[in-house]
Amino acid sequence: MLLNGIITGLIMGGILSLPVLGVAVIYGITGIPNFAIGVIGVLGGFVTWYFLSFNMGVAIVIGIAVCFIIGYIIQRILLTPISERGGDSTLFFIITVSVGFVFEGIIRAIFPRPNISLELPRIGTINLAGVTVEGFKIFALLFALGTLVVIRLLEEHTEIGKSWQATSQNLKLAKLIGINTNRVFSIASGIGCALACVGAIFWGSLYNLQVSTGWDLGFMGFIIAVVGGIGNIWGGIISALIMGMVMSFSGYLLGGEWQSVILYFIVILVLIIAPKGILGSERSL
Amino acid sequence: MIEPILKITGLTACYGKISAIKAINFYAHDNEIVGIVGPNGAGKTTLLESIAGSMRIKNGRIFFLGRHIEKWPVLKRRQLGLMLVPQEGNVFPMMSVKKNLEISVILSNRAERKGLIDYVYELFPILWERRKQIANTLSGGQQKMLAVGLGITSNARVMLIDEPSIGLAPKLVTRLFETLKKIKEDTKKTIVLSEQNIKILNIADRLFGLEAGKIRFDEKTKNLSRDIVKDLYLGSIS
Ligand SMILES: Nc1ncnc2c1ncn2[C@@H]1O[C@H](COP(=O)(O)OP(=O)(O)OP(=O)(O)O)[C@@H](O)[C@H]1O
Ligand SMILES: [Mg+2]
Repeated sequence: MLLNGIITGLIMGGILSLPVLGVAVIYGITGIPNFAIGVIGVLGGFVTWYFLSFNMGVAIVIGIAVCFIIGYIIQRILLTPISERGGDSTLFFIITVSVGFVFEGIIRAIFPRPNISLELPRIGTINLAGVTVEGFKIFALLFALGTLVVIRLLEEHTEIGKSWQATSQNLKLAKLIGINTNRVFSIASGIGCALACVGAIFWGSLYNLQVSTGWDLGFMGFIIAVVGGIGNIWGGIISALIMGMVMSFSGYLLGGEWQSVILYFIVILVLIIAPKGILGSERSL
Repeated sequence: MIEPILKITGLTACYGKISAIKAINFYAHDNEIVGIVGPNGAGKTTLLESIAGSMRIKNGRIFFLGRHIEKWPVLKRRQLGLMLVPQEGNVFPMMSVKKNLEISVILSNRAERKGLIDYVYELFPILWERRKQIANTLSGGQQKMLAVGLGITSNARVMLIDEPSIGLAPKLVTRLFETLKKIKEDTKKTIVLSEQNIKILNIADRLFGLEAGKIRFDEKTKNLSRDIVKDLYLGSIS
């Protein structure tokens, strides 16, 4: 049971780490807390579901692309201009939550189904030290960790990655040096929403996807990111894995009803002890 | 007379309702060092930021390389050939020296990049020694060198540098100024720098005296005595 709990926890954490990464990328680079990314990701999940019978690969690509474009555009026409006029966290909270409600409405209007399940291939099962795990779940976890590594590599070795770092460390100097910071922001927002979409797709195939799942993914992603040290992607992923573990064990030991009580109790405790999160954050909310 | 490459007329910029610089006329020619001297709060930073585009102006025109750029965003001015090394926050704090320089050549074509970075290492050998060090762990003087280095690698036609001597030991100031002069001679570019340090007289071709947001004098350095410059500072104290 112990091992089972650990594995379930790791996988849950792995999936959650995708929206967490989305939040971390967007907040780390733009400095804007975007609470809509979960809902946007779920919209991408519904889009994928719609095209799934056509071709799985194409469907996933379309879903992710739709999310990237939405993220790019809302940053470009809405969030960047507000930020240039000096918007603060409270304003961004209200605006991005409103954006989330807009997209929630759009999902309900386009897909009049409360609840979907994405039928993705299961890739068999794997036996880990006596515990049988679906290969697909392992894939989800590896994908999340792989994404983290890819982001890190991009930051170290590509021009666009270095521009991200420069923009997040010193926006004014980045502009003066000639980085197109508006484009950096838009791409970051697009990538963040695309990551949320991948999270939603995994979620939808392992559990099921409802319109409201977007808020769960978004807020949970945000809270976990804050616990890890917001904007800090290593902190985010560690925090996601720990929280996955907490959820899995509290679920096993005390039953599902207690899961969120324990989870958020721990969140509050961590933030009282370390207000900047486990690994600390460069920026603060 | 030859047309200046940078010419500013009637420039006014405000913080809220208070104007920090009023109806400034300013110009710089190709391949010269122009100093803007003035006491604390004279408006030096405001003027340089207005030229670079990181400060919004209220009135006036900025003419650069044949274009009116006063309405352009920072990036477009940068692309045309203006670069500001700001007074504060002038390095990327969590990046290594090397990465700082690598990111600052972003607008140059690939063939030029290595040469620009090598030139900075040649001017400031200590930066080569410290190339793997994270910028905010450098000493104040080394950070200044890196900041000026970012200006050089930008390869801009006109480099604006805001008070590079602040916080530096006198010996370092002399060395930095000599280096700026060498940069001008090597690259044939224009350097506009704001200063409170009297040693500016040793390197500038021309000086603008700025006080309380207004130009007090505009003279070739060779026609200026130390006293005129010093009076500018004392004037604001009395
Ligand atoms: N952010 C700001 N808000 C309000 N007033 C400001 C601001 N920045 C500067 N000022 C005011 O504008 C005037 C010019 O300031 P500026 O920074 O341009 O001077 P400076 O010559 O660069 O001074 P220093 O040598 O101290 O850097 C000063 O009176 C200053 O108090
Ligand atoms: Mg200043």
